[in-house]
Amino acid sequence: MTLTPTEVSLSEDQRDCYQELTNVAMGQAADRLARLLDVYVVLPIPKVNLIESSDLHMAIQDAETDSAMSAVCQGFIGSGIAGEALLLFNDTSFSDLAALMNYGGELDRYGELELLMDVSSLLIGACIQGIGEQLEIHFNQGHPVVLGQHCKVDDILKSGNHQWTKTLAIEIHYTIEHVNIDCDLLLLFTEDSVAKLNNKINYLLD
Amino acid sequence: MTDSNIEFGDIHWLMDILQNIDVGLVVLDRQYNIQLWNGFMESHSGLSPQKAKGENLFELFSEIPKDWFMKKAEPVYQLKTRTFTIWEQRPYLFRFKNYRPITGRASVMYQNTSIIPLESINRSVDHICVIIYDVTDIAVSREDVMSANKTLSELNRTDQLTELASRGYWLKELDREFLRCQRSVVPSTLVMFDLDDFRSINGHYGHQAGDQVLRSVSEGLRQTLRQTDQVCRYGGEVFSALLVDTDEDEAVVFAERVRKMIERMDIRYGQQSIRATASLGIARYQKSFTTAQDWLQAADKALYHAKESGRNKTTVYQPKAH
Repeated sequence: MTLTPTEVSLSEDQRDCYQELTNVAMGQAADRLARLLDVYVVLPIPKVNLIESSDLHMAIQDAETDSAMSAVCQGFIGSGIAGEALLLFNDTSFSDLAALMNYGGELDRYGELELLMDVSSLLIGACIQGIGEQLEIHFNQGHPVVLGQHCKVDDILKSGNHQWTKTLAIEIHYTIEHVNIDCDLLLLFTEDSVAKLNNKINYLLD
Repeated sequence: MTDSNIEFGDIHWLMDILQNIDVGLVVLDRQYNIQLWNGFMESHSGLSPQKAKGENLFELFSEIPKDWFMKKAEPVYQLKTRTFTIWEQRPYLFRFKNYRPITGRASVMYQNTSIIPLESINRSVDHICVIIYDVTDIAVSREDVMSANKTLSELNRTDQLTELASRGYWLKELDREFLRCQRSVVPSTLVMFDLDDFRSINGHYGHQAGDQVLRSVSEGLRQTLRQTDQVCRYGGEVFSALLVDTDEDEAVVFAERVRKMIERMDIRYGQQSIRATASLGIARYQKSFTTAQDWLQAADKALYHAKESGRNKTTVYQPKAH
């Protein structure tokens, strides 16, 4: 692997553009959820930041309390732009989630795994697809990986030894009206994807 | 050569690739009838594309739970989004038998699947494609790692020489019991004991004989225990026992039983017969203890007292306030 000498950067205009892009994608995602589940998703303003690998832990902890969590991760790649989507669930959300998804089975470890997979397919898929459509990139998605059920952030990100120093992160905090559902979606692009993404964004800005 | 010939050639190649690619491809229509069935599916199911085509998926494969699968597939039709299933949810979608007699270690093929929308010319989704990946090797090695981890944590919990609980594991149990005692009125008692003059046993008979003494004492101890008692080899020739729901008097009975058991023991090592005795210290949980360490120290003090006052004895810890 070669190291890219170019410094990862993000101008204010670009940041706004990413935010707008994510907003639109989430709007589409929310619309899909509304059609499928008949719920109203509260759309927050996504946070767009360059983060250092040492801050990843904090970025996640920031979004969540120190209660137990479950997490699913899914890779995506298209036109040489790659990244991973990390979906974090607060464990207290499961019973409401089950009601929302019309899940009738028992809420044991397997039941929760089913829910995790179903919800992450929906949320991650919709968001990635929405961003891809606007940038005219067809993203291929890998298989979701369950990083952990009922663990602490430390267990979820135990590897710690990341192959990057600084990269683009888009953070979305999902809440759903009237129910206790609390989850965070973090999109993290690979370091060398950021320049390519910025190029695409610059087209939109022109 | 005309353009259409080239296109025809292209399609021919594509069909060849579909046929030979080592993942399963199944195209389903809105009624879940099979429209495409590639070589991988044919090979593993033994069902030819001619037989499969037009048949209903759920009628042909009763192992696929209809409700479950539709939950994954309907969003693909409705939202044009992809969905996924992984072997941790269900080991397989299609029940395909292990096909590798030498290297295959699972009885069935573990599968991950992707379900992707196929848009028609008018952009509606009337078909979906189910892609089936064979992930048996990943699943089997993951299960191997999990069982290895379980064995390791069990090894960690036992002392190798005596097969009693290890010190680390026992200390965690002690911490837990200490917290319980702080909330409860039911007393628990700690017993620490050590073999008298163990150094001279080692010196006189050799270290292997010493090990045999430790093993025999541990074996005797196991037979003396109640199910709720937790005993460990604390270190060297020191043992400790946590007696849950036990007051001082009952602990004294236990300790005396252990002391007499060791005293009576005729430990055989080769041709030799070795005798041992032990001194024991008892400390009941006191509200004045602020940490589990205080409790341990109290039992240790009582043990020290038993040693000082002549060995082969049991001493009970007396709090200073009394």
